[in-house]
Amino acid sequence: MSPLLELRDLRKLFPVRDALGRAQGAVRAVDGVSLSVAQGEVLAIVGESGCGKSTLGRLALRLIEPDAGEVRFGGEDLRGLSAAALRARRRDMQLIFQDPFASLDPRMTVEAAIAEPLRLHKVVPRGQEAARVAEWLERVGLRADHARRWPHEFSGGQRQRIAIARALASGPKLVIGDEPVSALDVSIQAQVVNLLQGLIRDLGLTFVLISHDLAVVRHIADRVAVMYLGRIVELGPASQVFGAPKHPYTRALLAAVPGQGAKAPPLAGDVPSPMAPPTGCRFHTRCTFAEAGCREHDPALRGGSHAAACHVFEQLPPAPLARETETGGDRLRRLQAFFSADKPGAAA
Amino acid sequence: MSAESPFRRALRQFFRHRLAVFGLVVVALFVLAAVFAPLLAPYDPLKTSWTLVRKAPSAAHWFGTDENGRDILARVIYGARASLMAGVVAVTLAGCIGIPLGLLAGLAGGWAETLISRVADAMLAVPFLILAIALAAFLGPALENAMLAIAITASPVFVRLSRGMALEAKSTDWAEAARALGNPPWRLALVHVLPNIIPPLMVQATLSIAEAIIAEASLSFLGLGQQPPNPSWGSMLNSAQRFLTQAPWMAIYPGVAIFLVVLAFNLVGDGLRDALDPRSQKR
Repeated sequence: MSPLLELRDLRKLFPVRDALGRAQGAVRAVDGVSLSVAQGEVLAIVGESGCGKSTLGRLALRLIEPDAGEVRFGGEDLRGLSAAALRARRRDMQLIFQDPFASLDPRMTVEAAIAEPLRLHKVVPRGQEAARVAEWLERVGLRADHARRWPHEFSGGQRQRIAIARALASGPKLVIGDEPVSALDVSIQAQVVNLLQGLIRDLGLTFVLISHDLAVVRHIADRVAVMYLGRIVELGPASQVFGAPKHPYTRALLAAVPGQGAKAPPLAGDVPSPMAPPTGCRFHTRCTFAEAGCREHDPALRGGSHAAACHVFEQLPPAPLARETETGGDRLRRLQAFFSADKPGAAA
Repeated sequence: MSAESPFRRALRQFFRHRLAVFGLVVVALFVLAAVFAPLLAPYDPLKTSWTLVRKAPSAAHWFGTDENGRDILARVIYGARASLMAGVVAVTLAGCIGIPLGLLAGLAGGWAETLISRVADAMLAVPFLILAIALAAFLGPALENAMLAIAITASPVFVRLSRGMALEAKSTDWAEAARALGNPPWRLALVHVLPNIIPPLMVQATLSIAEAIIAEASLSFLGLGQQPPNPSWGSMLNSAQRFLTQAPWMAIYPGVAIFLVVLAFNLVGDGLRDALDPRSQKR
């Protein structure tokens, strides 16, 4: 089946200027990312903050313009569309924001917010908008009579439910969730993750989850892409990436999850400045397995369906994590028990 | 938890502010006086009398009479029409010119922003009254022209304010969400950004009305506003200046009227600002 979303060699630079407006260089937020998302798939993009994952999400929806590369949605290049055609296409692709306190217009009632996509894309006749809004409110675990209230009257979790209803109201095929639960309390996170998972299943959504929370990713993703300094360094089925990570960076990332108990080599140092990424493999400055060649040659993604951008991954010792996840992962199991115990309808 | 709109919350906040409520009452009284002038005025404001020239305040003429024997109370009441009209009409017009241009500059960016902002900055560089006088002199002496001159002079403040707030709004998540939902630029501007920037614009409008009333009085004082014999506080002050020592009441009452109205609008503006300021919401 042809992919619903296809990114080819996408690049985005953000120029950095000094106080006098002179160009000082550029942050390479996204630096040559190719990725495809199949219909009905849940793909997670993980990485540290500043690695370019949010930029990638916005590029994929053409909310910001890429400097180079292609974005194909349903086989059509989004970059070739006129402004009006792109707006019409937004019915099929939506974004859920991280901060539900910032993403809802404070001067719009809940009803107006959820009805907006219905009206913009003429999803239902005007007379049926209110009924459709009520349906969505109940679907995301709120009450129909919440429609006339204002965003400031709701808690973070409730607001995120409203934002989810707004994003899904036009019936999109693709939804990108930019850290959709990381601004919420842990107890609320579980409920909202469950809600999202249920909606993805029931509506057959294609979902791109941008997150740094590996427990959440593991819970709902089919495939995982790991980003480091604007590049994808590992891409593969979630079970394989978590079970047998190939890239040293992925190993370190998984080891950093509290409660995993893994004794992988710790990550030394900070992320290098994205304004001046290291030569060769971008990870070599922090990699315990780096060899001389890593400093000079930029590795490409290789390895078929579970690929890694690393020169030496075949020679690495087996990841200690593989054993740890069989026996360990206590936090995950506790969280999963929590997820299934809490019904989304019981939101506060 | 009751459903209270941000507007009603601000209103409740406003009514806790005593001085602002006092200002609002004064403004309301002047508005009533202007609207019901024919009922309230004890005499015809244009009726001259040679026997009543420059009479001091008395039981028959509470505020005294002017150099043509006209009743000053009646002229102050009718003069409220010119002043309030000039204030409200000029500022409404200024908002209608300035806010769309400011939104365009803030949201569209590019050469439109450069052009609009530079023109507004250039106008702001000239003192308010000087620009208003120059424009009014150019348009010709009449109340309508004075209002137009004041409107044009007051508009760059609205351009700058709405541009700044539109720029701020443009970078918020909810504005990006609006774009992601498929809002065209005009809808983003009118349905999302405009309602969010209305409160500070309201404050500015109230303060601008006070400024416009002073400008109208100044223009009328110079003979560029309300034309005689029609009453205006500014032109009353002008004719009073020749008799300041003999008939001070000719100057005092229109002067007090200007003072009160301008003070009242400023108090209302300050109260609105406090009520709409998110930092004072907790009180």
